[in-house]
Amino acid sequence: MLEGLVSQESFMDMSVLERLKWVQQQQQQLQQVVSQSSNNSPGLFQILQFHGSNNDELLQSTFSHVQMLGSGFGPNYNMGFGSQHEAMDGCISRTSSCHMESVDAMGFMLKNNEENRVIALKNKRKQEVKTSEEEKAEKKIKVEIETESSMKGKSNMSITEASSDTSKETSKGASENQKLDYIHVRARRGQATDRHSLAERARREKISKKMKYLQDIVPGCNKVTGKAGMLDEIINYVQCLQRQVEFLSMKLAVLNPELEINMEDVSVKQFQAYFTNLPVVGASKQSIMVDVPLFPLDQQGSLDLSAINPNQTTSIEAPSASWEAQSQNLYNTSSFGFQY
Amino acid sequence: MQPTSSMKEEFLKKWQMGLQIFRPSIDNTSVSERKKAIKLSADVAMASLRKGTTCWSRALIEKTATEDNFLVRQMLTGIKAEALINKKLPKKIVCHRKIVRRSKKILRRKSRSASEEAAVKAKRLVKRRTQGLRNVVPGGEFMSNDILLLRETLDYIVSLQTQVNVMRSIVDAAEAGIEQ
Repeated sequence: MLEGLVSQESFMDMSVLERLKWVQQQQQQLQQVVSQSSNNSPGLFQILQFHGSNNDELLQSTFSHVQMLGSGFGPNYNMGFGSQHEAMDGCISRTSSCHMESVDAMGFMLKNNEENRVIALKNKRKQEVKTSEEEKAEKKIKVEIETESSMKGKSNMSITEASSDTSKETSKGASENQKLDYIHVRARRGQATDRHSLAERARREKISKKMKYLQDIVPGCNKVTGKAGMLDEIINYVQCLQRQVEFLSMKLAVLNPELEINMEDVSVKQFQAYFTNLPVVGASKQSIMVDVPLFPLDQQGSLDLSAINPNQTTSIEAPSASWEAQSQNLYNTSSFGFQY
Repeated sequence: MQPTSSMKEEFLKKWQMGLQIFRPSIDNTSVSERKKAIKLSADVAMASLRKGTTCWSRALIEKTATEDNFLVRQMLTGIKAEALINKKLPKKIVCHRKIVRRSKKILRRKSRSASEEAAVKAKRLVKRRTQGLRNVVPGGEFMSNDILLLRETLDYIVSLQTQVNVMRSIVDAAEAGIEQ
């Protein structure tokens, strides 16, 4: 069911407004589904238990087990509630598929609500998600404006500092710097040429060079200017990658009870393709970044998560202005607490 | 710098080696145990790719060594395992609160012009963010200067990308295998 919901459009391409509308749409659809499938029970847990009791001890037992797990983790950013959902989804693939649809819906709703960290009632859910999304969008814009204005202020200050410095003219500034240091800093006209400011300027240049490299590698950094914003994006990206690792390892643990990465039962052609950057045959969605094969969307009705995942590739192709919104929508549930 | 296929292959090999250590004790049938095993071995594999040249890799190995010393020793045989584990990391950067508070009070007494205020705010933001980055990157607290931190972050990001790519392809393959 969810494969239909997740359209070909990736999250990255949507603007914030479109994303809001999309979320709203999903909520409406899901509400319909849930109202059909449940007995109008108020709490999410009740819904889950309803399904659990119907079919699987497995489902229930893992749910309760992981619930304990979740409470065991400290008060980290994303609480254990997400982890329950993750394991549950993992187990769902092994259990019968008759309950898949509604539990998928649950899974999706849980994800959307994770940022509130509250088990919201059905009725409240729509507004909550919408307002939190809006808030985030506003905050993001505010932060950007703030950093822009602060950057302007900073540049103003440096200009005044330069002009007020009592120093000589310049083009010989470079000669000061021909020690063993590797960055050649040319002192500009009216700027100080004493060792301290030169060293500091050299340091600043190094830092900006490193930031440029980071900008290349972190998707979405081009839209943000200024150190603070970029650092923010970098932090989000690293956290996102870490969460992905957790999630993928969990998924592997579920899929692979023998803990074995054996190459035999996988078709050799497929496997080699992963490493030689060829598109994998059978993937329904061919992306340009071929060395990250996306999860096949429609053909295999396996984990609902597999449908949602492709939007979160760690590829440079995907410029994302706000890792926060997306990662919180999709991946906050997969974190088991930051270990770092 | 993108993760290269050679990096991916090396990572995969090391990871497999790590997982094989867990194979005999396969009665850990609970999902969490398996996940932990997978993640630990992946982490150590990733860190050992750097062979101790980067700070984050040493910190990561040290961290997993506290959780599972046996695994680490097995995996790092031959590559100065002992040295890595017992290596003394530089002292953590500690801020004495009293001193910081006093200096802040003194700074506050100075009057500031409007443009300076903005610059100070910007600096504060940047400082806060770098602190956040230190928390996220393993071993961040040990890096004394910003330049080192940024360099480590870059390396760490590339390694993480490798790890995610490989894991994802394995999961894909496993799923495809199940479907058939």
